[in-house]
Parts: sequence; C-alpha cells; structure tokens
Amino acid sequence: MSVRITGIGIVSAIGLGVQENLLALKESRTGIMPFSFPDEDKMFMAGAVKATNPVLKKELQTKSQYISRTTLLGLKAAREAYGSAKHHDQIRTGIISATSVGGMDLSEQFYQAYLNGTDADFAMLKAHDSGSTTEHIAAELRISGYMNTLSTACSSGANAIMLGARLLMQGKLDRVLVGGADALTNFTVNGFRSLMIYDEQWCRPFDASREGLNLGEGAAFLLLENEKSIRFSGNKTLAFLNGWANAADAYHQTASSPEGKGATLAMQKAIEKSGISLSQISYINAHGTGTKNNDLSESVALINVFGDQVPAFSSTKSFTGHTLAAAGAIEAIFSVLAIQNQLIYPNIHFRTPIMETGLEPVTIMQTEKPVHAVLSNSFGFGGNNSSLVFSDHA
Amino acid sequence: MYYISAASTISHQPAFRNAGFSGVIEPLHAGSALINPDYKEYIEPGLLRRMSKILRMSVACSGDCLKQGGIEQPDAIVVGTGLGCLLDTEKFLNNALTVKGLLPPTSFIQSTHNTMAGQISLSLGNHGYNMTHTQNSISFENALLDAMLLIDEGEKHILVGAADEHIALLDEISAQLNIQSDCGLTSGASFFILSAEKSDQTLAGIKDAEALGLVKNIPEQITAFLDRNNVNPDDLDLILYAGSVAGTEDGEKDFQSLLKMKNLPVLDYMKYSGIYPTASAFALHMAADQMQHTRSIKNILICNSLIQHNLGLILVQSVEA
Repeated sequence: MSVRITGIGIVSAIGLGVQENLLALKESRTGIMPFSFPDEDKMFMAGAVKATNPVLKKELQTKSQYISRTTLLGLKAAREAYGSAKHHDQIRTGIISATSVGGMDLSEQFYQAYLNGTDADFAMLKAHDSGSTTEHIAAELRISGYMNTLSTACSSGANAIMLGARLLMQGKLDRVLVGGADALTNFTVNGFRSLMIYDEQWCRPFDASREGLNLGEGAAFLLLENEKSIRFSGNKTLAFLNGWANAADAYHQTASSPEGKGATLAMQKAIEKSGISLSQISYINAHGTGTKNNDLSESVALINVFGDQVPAFSSTKSFTGHTLAAAGAIEAIFSVLAIQNQLIYPNIHFRTPIMETGLEPVTIMQTEKPVHAVLSNSFGFGGNNSSLVFSDHA
Repeated sequence: MYYISAASTISHQPAFRNAGFSGVIEPLHAGSALINPDYKEYIEPGLLRRMSKILRMSVACSGDCLKQGGIEQPDAIVVGTGLGCLLDTEKFLNNALTVKGLLPPTSFIQSTHNTMAGQISLSLGNHGYNMTHTQNSISFENALLDAMLLIDEGEKHILVGAADEHIALLDEISAQLNIQSDCGLTSGASFFILSAEKSDQTLAGIKDAEALGLVKNIPEQITAFLDRNNVNPDDLDLILYAGSVAGTEDGEKDFQSLLKMKNLPVLDYMKYSGIYPTASAFALHMAADQMQHTRSIKNILICNSLIQHNLGLILVQSVEA
C-alpha cells in the first residue's frame, strides 16, 4: 500500500523553497532567532519566515488586500509543490490544507482596533475562518472540487497528508495537493506562554534541560498522484508515502499521557500499514517540541515501539521552531529530502539525555548511512496523534 | 449505503431525545432560543463549568448518540465545524490584548477547532481515529465524507457530527459586511452514528454525499449527482436546501424549474435551524426523522449552497424495516 509523492514545496524559518531549506539542513543552520512583532519591542525566540507580507505579496503577484500571512505562506509553498500541473477534465484533483490559526494575524489587527474604538475594518475578518485559507490557495492554483481544511492543532499537517492518501487509495481522487500553513501570531505566542511552555531560550528538544517550545511559522505542500495522473503529468516520483495512522491519546486536553498511549498506537499502526519492518526504519523525524511533557511521553512511546533498538531520531523543530499545523507537512518534506539525499538531521542544542529514558537523538549530521524509510511523528492538543511512514519504494 | 443508527441534535427545535420532532417544528421567530438539555446528565459538573456552549452541545449530543445506538466505543470520531470555538477564541484574544502579565490558559486550550473531537475522545476514553474538518459552509459534508471513507475502509461505527456556536460579535460583523440573515445567526450541534450495516436502530440511509469548493455550475452538479445515484427527479420526495442554487431569491421555484417538477416539495431548512455554517447537519437529522415517521418518504436531497461557491449534497434514503 503506497502513494506517490511527485511534488514538494516549502517555506520555513530556514528558507523559501526546497533548495534553501535543504541547504540550511545540510549546514545544520537553525532559523530560530530573536524576533519581535511589528510595533512591539519585546523580543523572543521564534522561527520566523524571513520575508515580510509585502515581499511575499509582490513575489506571488497577488493583489488581494485581505490576505492573511497564513495564506501567503501557504500559497508560496503550494505553488512550488503544484509546479506546472494543469487542469485536466479526466484528472480529479483535490486540495487539503491544514491550519490552526487561519487568518488570525488579520483578526488580531481587527480586534485591537475594535477594542480601541478606532476604525476597525470588518472586511479583515473575511480571512479569519480556516477554510478561507485553503479556498484562496485553491483559487490561485485554479483547483475546484474536493476542497477541505483540517484543524487538529499540531498534528493537522500530517492528517492532511493522510486524508489525501486515503482519498487516492479509495479511488476518490487522482491527484491531491496536501499540506499545511500557519503564521506566527500574538494569539499563539501568548497561548503557549499562558501554558508556561514557551522557552525564552533556544528550544532544546529531548534535552534534560528543555523548558518548552519556540514557535515557528511556515507552510509545506506535497503533491500526491496516482498512476493515471502520472501518465498525464509525466511527473517523477520523489518518494512514497507507505503508512499512516491517527490515534487519540484520550488522556488530557493538552498534555500527553506519561505512557505515551496515543503516540505508541499511531506509530505502531502506521508502521504496520507500511509493511516495513521496525529494523528497516532508517530515521525518525520526531515531534519533539521541546516541552517537558511531549518529549518524555514521545521517548517512552519510542521505547514502547522499538524497545532497545530505537532508530536514529531527531527533532527538526530545533531548526524551524514549532510551526503548528504546518509542522507535519514541513517535516514530511524533510523526510522526503532525507531519503533523496541520504541525510539524517541533527537535533540542534541537545546536550544531556532525559534521565527517565536515556534516549539520545542524533547530534551531528549523518551522510554516510543510506536512508530508505523514515517515520515522521506529529502530535497535537486534544490528544491527536498521527504518524506517517515514507520510503524510497512502493 | 451507509446507515444512520442514531441522531442527536441541540437546536432551537425540540429535537433532543425527541423522535418525531420534525413533525412539530416551526420556523424560528424573533426571540426564539436554543433549547438546552440538562447537561449534567451527560457531563460531570467540574468539566461542565469550564465548557463553552459548543463543547457542551457536542459532548451531550455524542453521549446521547452512543446511548441511542447502544454503542460503547465508536471506531472513530469525526467532527465538522465552520468557525470552531468562537467563545473561547474571542475570550483569549480579548485577554491577550487587554490583560498584562500571565494569562489564564483555559480559553487558549479550548480555542482550537479540535477541542470538541478531543473532549469527546476524552469523555469516552476513545483511542480511535480522531478528526476535525473546517471548510466553512461545507465542513459537515467533509466530515461526513471522511466517515463514509472510514466505513469503506472497513470500520463499523463512526461518530460523526458538526457544531458551531454564535457570539454577539457575529451579528455586528454580518451587519457591517451586509450579510443578509432573515432567520438569524445562531448555534447548533447535530451528531450521528454512521454504521456499515443495517440494524433495528437504523433511522435512514445515506446513499451518497458530496462537498465541492469553488464550484462553478451548481445546477449541473446537482443533476450529475442524482444521475450518478440513479435517482430521477420524480423519485425525490423532498428537497431541503440552504442558500440559492440559481442566484435568485426563490429557492422553491429554482429547484422546481431545475428538476422540471412543478409540485416537488422544497423547504429552506435554515428557517428551522437558524443560520450557522454546519446547519446541514440539522437538515440531515430532520430528513432522517421524517423518514422514520412517514413511511412514504423514500428520497430526500439535502442541498447546501449557503455560501454560493460551495456546494454540499447529501442523498438520504429510507431503509426498509
């Protein structure tokens, strides 16, 4: 059981486009740095995309006045992934995007003006709902028909990829653009601060001294195609999506269970579906947010699944920050790049293992070992756990 | 065919735990209010205090569905919501902009769209597939399509539903943006058990559903959908619709001329549910309820074009006992 990935596009703190991201990964260069919102002095660590809205708008040649940053980032990545794909009457095309904040960047501006009693521009709110982000991207790419947005917090991007694969497997669509986008907002920065899991230093996934996450922003899309669609498009297959699973932790609205129940189930089911054996997983791109709770729970789950043979693993959130609904899609592309380029990424800022599990992520870029299969984890609020398995074979 | 084994709705109509409600419903009037059940029967008091309207409605409807269906654990939980948890979103936005210092996290935690699906899984201790769809006016249809896909993949019972909640700011926004709302913006939740097999509990069947975004020719899509399902226009007993299929004000005439059926009963379901992005879930419950209590009704088409460039279609069919 497998689905072909024939296009990828990405925007993150470490670059605009696949090539820039690959270069930063190869150079082990993080995109997390001190950041402040426009008109604010307070600096904090975040993985901002190094392009302002006016720059993105100009590059994307979009004239729309009310376009959220989430949509701009999404459109940039979606265009790269979709490439020169054209409408074809015989090819049923769909789009599934994921977002958690949607147009919140504009809603915040509106709400501030609304509270101040100054001229609040109500039209800004037309971009608020998450679905409008997907609609906007679809309109720019001239995709109509199956159109959907998933919002399952930090696992959304992985779920969009999974749903796209299921629709292809069941013969409902011939090709589908899947991914996610989220912009940095005051809403989410304040939110994670209120939970006291925002690290004011560089985030340190899987390190004993970790204090929390750094938020990031970005977008990533993948084009999934069936054989029929490939006959029309002539697109090359970059990698395969072989396994997927979604399981609920059902422990707490935000915290993960200490025994990593949902995470264990998601990994086990995804690997089982892929038909790839545990020992053939070359690398795990972990969820690894850098919070005390996630990294311990995920470590326990890794041991539940792999015993004392845990494969090489790392969290690339130490490069990009936690990009919420985009994370699953961004990390899916890093997984594809790992397979294509034989790379196992380091977990930046790791020094001391978590005492309870003793697991050590990869700390120096590995380029010697072949990478045939990668497991990518995405876990979210609401106990929403998803895992994907990518490989170089059908 | 996919089978509806249970249905539960909280709305302005007396639908909750009231089979046959579709026979006594009346169009909403000024001042009509949401009919809330006794939430304490479904949610423990400690949790209930912290829950916003949309969460209470969703958890109560889900609990009721499982009770009706006699199902302890569904194989999956799938929720659609157009605008998500607006009360908590506005509350946290307000706090973030007005309160200095550390903010209480509860409204942030409960602001994410998947709070309903998460809370339902928590209340049941359910470890199955858990998903939240949000594509404005076709969020419920997208959730329903996911549930149908899960059944095609071999699952047996899916808890699928939709919820949206109203906040006062929405009225101001719709007035400012000149969005017409004859029947008023409001809240609502409807949940169902969708099953792979027919049982004694089956209320009605879903033959097919579709959700299309940026759709160009709505009438063409409707006729193609019926054709694909081998349903002639004169097989239809009722059309429940929202929005406008032909851009005119007269939905009834639009359908009658589109399908060339002069006497086809056509009903605007939003007159009964009020306006919210996932009101087509209310229409599905209404259709299933009508079928159960009026045996002559065989086919109902739910046609949702609340937002004109989006189209949701659900073909509901009666199931022989």
